[in-house]
Amino acid sequence: MCWPNSNGARATVATITLTRISKSFGATRVLNDIDLDIQAGEFLTLVGPSGCGKSTLLRILAGLEEPNTGEVRIDGRTVNAVRAADRNLAMVFQSYALYPHLTVAENMMTPLRLRDLSWRERLPVAGPLLARAKHKSLRAQVEETARILEIEPLLQRKPGQLSGGQRQRVALGRAMVRKPVAFLMDEPLSNLDAALRVHMRSELAELHSDLGTTFVYVTHDQAEALTMSTRMAVMMDGDILQLDSPQAIYENPSDIRVAQFIGSPKINILPGDVDSDGRISVAGMTLARRVSAANRGAISVGLRPENLKLAKGSSAETIEGTLVYRENLGSDLYLHLAIGENIGRLIVRAAPHEASGLNVGDQVFVERLRGEAIFFGADGKRVGAAGLKSNGADAARAVA
Amino acid sequence: MARSRAHVWFVAPAVTLMFVILILPILIAAVLSFTDYSLGNDGAQYVGLKNYERIFTRSTYEKMFIATFTYVGVVVPLSVGLGLGAALLINSLKRFGDLYKTIYFLPVMAALLAMAIVWEFALHPTIGIVNKTLATGCGTVLEHWAWYAQGCAKTFPLWLTDRNYAIWTVAFIGVWQGFGFNMVLYLAGLTSVPRELYQAAEMDGARTGWDRFRLVTWPMLGPTTVFVVTITCIRSFQVFDTVEAFYPQGGGPSKSVYVMMFAIYEKAIQQNLMGIGAAITVVFLGFVMFLTLMQRWLVERRVHYS
Amino acid sequence: MSDATATAAVRERSSDDQFVLRWSSREALKHAVLIVGALIVLLPFYVMLSYSFKSPSEIMTNTGGLIGLQEPFRDDYCVKLGNAAEDCMVTPVIYNYTTAFGKAPLLRYLFNGAVVTASIFFIQVLIALPCAYALAKLKWWGREFVFSMVLFCLLIPVHAIALPLYIMLSKLGLTNSYAALVIPWTISVFGIFLMRQFFMTVPDDLIDAARMDGMNEFAIIWKVMLPTAVPALLAFAIFSVVAHWNDYFWPRIVITGNRELFTPPLGLREFKGDADGDNFGPMMATATIIVTPLIVAFLIAQRRFIEGITLSGMK
Repeated sequence: MCWPNSNGARATVATITLTRISKSFGATRVLNDIDLDIQAGEFLTLVGPSGCGKSTLLRILAGLEEPNTGEVRIDGRTVNAVRAADRNLAMVFQSYALYPHLTVAENMMTPLRLRDLSWRERLPVAGPLLARAKHKSLRAQVEETARILEIEPLLQRKPGQLSGGQRQRVALGRAMVRKPVAFLMDEPLSNLDAALRVHMRSELAELHSDLGTTFVYVTHDQAEALTMSTRMAVMMDGDILQLDSPQAIYENPSDIRVAQFIGSPKINILPGDVDSDGRISVAGMTLARRVSAANRGAISVGLRPENLKLAKGSSAETIEGTLVYRENLGSDLYLHLAIGENIGRLIVRAAPHEASGLNVGDQVFVERLRGEAIFFGADGKRVGAAGLKSNGADAARAVA
Repeated sequence: MARSRAHVWFVAPAVTLMFVILILPILIAAVLSFTDYSLGNDGAQYVGLKNYERIFTRSTYEKMFIATFTYVGVVVPLSVGLGLGAALLINSLKRFGDLYKTIYFLPVMAALLAMAIVWEFALHPTIGIVNKTLATGCGTVLEHWAWYAQGCAKTFPLWLTDRNYAIWTVAFIGVWQGFGFNMVLYLAGLTSVPRELYQAAEMDGARTGWDRFRLVTWPMLGPTTVFVVTITCIRSFQVFDTVEAFYPQGGGPSKSVYVMMFAIYEKAIQQNLMGIGAAITVVFLGFVMFLTLMQRWLVERRVHYS
Repeated sequence: MSDATATAAVRERSSDDQFVLRWSSREALKHAVLIVGALIVLLPFYVMLSYSFKSPSEIMTNTGGLIGLQEPFRDDYCVKLGNAAEDCMVTPVIYNYTTAFGKAPLLRYLFNGAVVTASIFFIQVLIALPCAYALAKLKWWGREFVFSMVLFCLLIPVHAIALPLYIMLSKLGLTNSYAALVIPWTISVFGIFLMRQFFMTVPDDLIDAARMDGMNEFAIIWKVMLPTAVPALLAFAIFSVVAHWNDYFWPRIVITGNRELFTPPLGLREFKGDADGDNFGPMMATATIIVTPLIVAFLIAQRRFIEGITLSGMK
């Protein structure tokens, strides 16, 4: 896939600014004063569980929904009063929303016809006669887009005759054909089968870098967000909890909910305790790292499965557990351990050769990689190491 | 597998009745249409195509076809159009939509014969509420309308007994009775249009209501429209209750409301001319079956999502 | 599923207020159009109900508002019977409704209507349900043929073949009987078709499980299929009852003269036949009584009714 940069028709790029957006449906508040700056040309993903408000935010941006308060600006211009049809944004819907009675070519032609032709030129028979050149150039644009998406052979078919993946491409084509200032995508891959979904991730990322246009992408699938985005915004209960690059969010979640939502398998959360000196004890061991004594009391300690490794035997630095399940993914193996004293489950990543001798029911010893533990206070917020600000991401990671 | 022969018991009564009540009568009608049979006279003469010849040459039957097709030609487009219009309006309302829906559906529920009698009463030239109401408009701006002025000067139309008005009045009652049914079908059709299609249309630049209607609503209602048109056609071909209530004899002023079902009733039941009645029946069945087959063909041709 | 769908219902409500404010003039115009339509639709119902309350003179002069003044008037027929004029003063509404029941055996008509519609519905179900089951769930030689026969018969409106049916019934000597009113409607191909479509959606496993439990095919129909088909049956019941309670054409043909067998529409027609000025009130009362049961039932169970009546549109 390659966008024709050669003719100089690179798509326009827009910055989008959302300021203090709030929205309620009846008594239900779905967005709480959201601020969001979308930079020109970036691939921004809004990710979060169902009902977090991400789709509503996208639809407010599109103009399909009105915010109760707040301002939407595209390239500095306030567009609250501008209807969706006039914002020059394109949207790919979860259900694709193709017009079932029109062929693929007609579907892709629709946004061009509605925008570029007068009502006279749109008349069924007289229209093409009146404005032959215009119609021809529109058809050429459709064919060009179809060529890029490799759907030329489908142009004369109707949506009902296409597979899910093909419909998805047509929906993309309909959005691309008129060179909008930004693409909005509402869970566009969720109706595809697993293999195609994975394939489309790379294709969409590639499309984004070819087009250079702003993409705003909504998904509940953290893997999609991690693989495609330039930046991602993790949303929950109507708030953006964290907005950063995928890497930063994965490594330095600012909130326990972010930590638990991003990453598969889930991060291990163990209950810990902070004493009056700021020392942290968890699962029977005391960590070298300390936090501010102000956090005295219960604390949650997050450990990603890949930051744990199997140990040969018991020591002061190990956690002991019973193997209850071997989750074999071929390249990796996730060992699910039951650890004592109501602490719960621990998932550990291991290479297949390391774990080959282990069977369900065996006692297993695990040690952690130093400094990779992440701490969260009772309110779920990130807790930094002693003497440092609680949200100082790098500082918190520093080996104590 | 030793499955019982139960199906014979399940199917036999239905098949027998289907044959005796639905198929056999068609054959009987077809055979009788070539005779001059009448009840009580056992000896029926074979008369060849004479009955059909009459139907297609005599002026009485010409009037029958004119009345029937005028009725169908008025009632079908109007009741489908009003049904669609009402459905679109009600669907776009923020509140009270259900109230209108209920009201418009009432005539569908009411016995048409009873309502025909009430209409006859309301349309009574002297004591009817319609002309009385019209008369109260005399002397107002409405008199600039020539028709109205004439009504005020002399009398307002006799509606049911004036040959220039009769068929239109009967057709109006047909529309009154039937459009609520179409409205409900269209409302059902409208709820099945995916909302995302309207949003896609908005994103694609459909700014006016007309754009959205052309791009989404009308095409998505295609199957509903085919069905609604067919069923309205068949129903209006079968109009009888109103005609018989207004004109027990003869089919209205100058036979201007002499519709086919009434013709069958008059010829066969009132006058015991079974041969000609059977021939009209056969022609009638031809129309109805043609219409239904057309509908099935159209529906099968335009399946959107598979 | 995205949260957009999850909150769609809520959104509906909230956007109301915005739009009412923004489009109030447009909304008002829509209401104006719909109200004019509603007035025209309701006009005959108003006439019917209102005149069933009024005295003859109020009807003739079109006065008295909605329900008349209810001033007693002299019943001439009563005077003619030799009673004193003072004894013959009647209140219009009472006069109209008592005359409706007294002048003709209206109760008998209503009873006939109920018997006929109920019998038709029960026989239709009795015949159609097993056939639909066999067509949907059993495999047998000739099934395709029988189903295409059903599809063909769907093309035939029973009213259209009234003439040969009438001849057949009169040859059998069955005209002027309940049988004549019921027999032509005993077979509802539409019912078969509808039930078959419905049964197609019932999983085979359910039937196989019933067979494993030792039920025979008859028991399966009445104990397994019938209960699952209740929603469809209910809709069909409404469809059938409305059609046959209101039917005028067929009773008109097969019932001649014998008042004992009149259905409500026939009774009303008869009433109209010998109506004079004084009888408009009672006639409207009769019409009201005939129309009321279905209208009231409709108003109570609107959704079900609309479902049932529009059933034919849902294939």
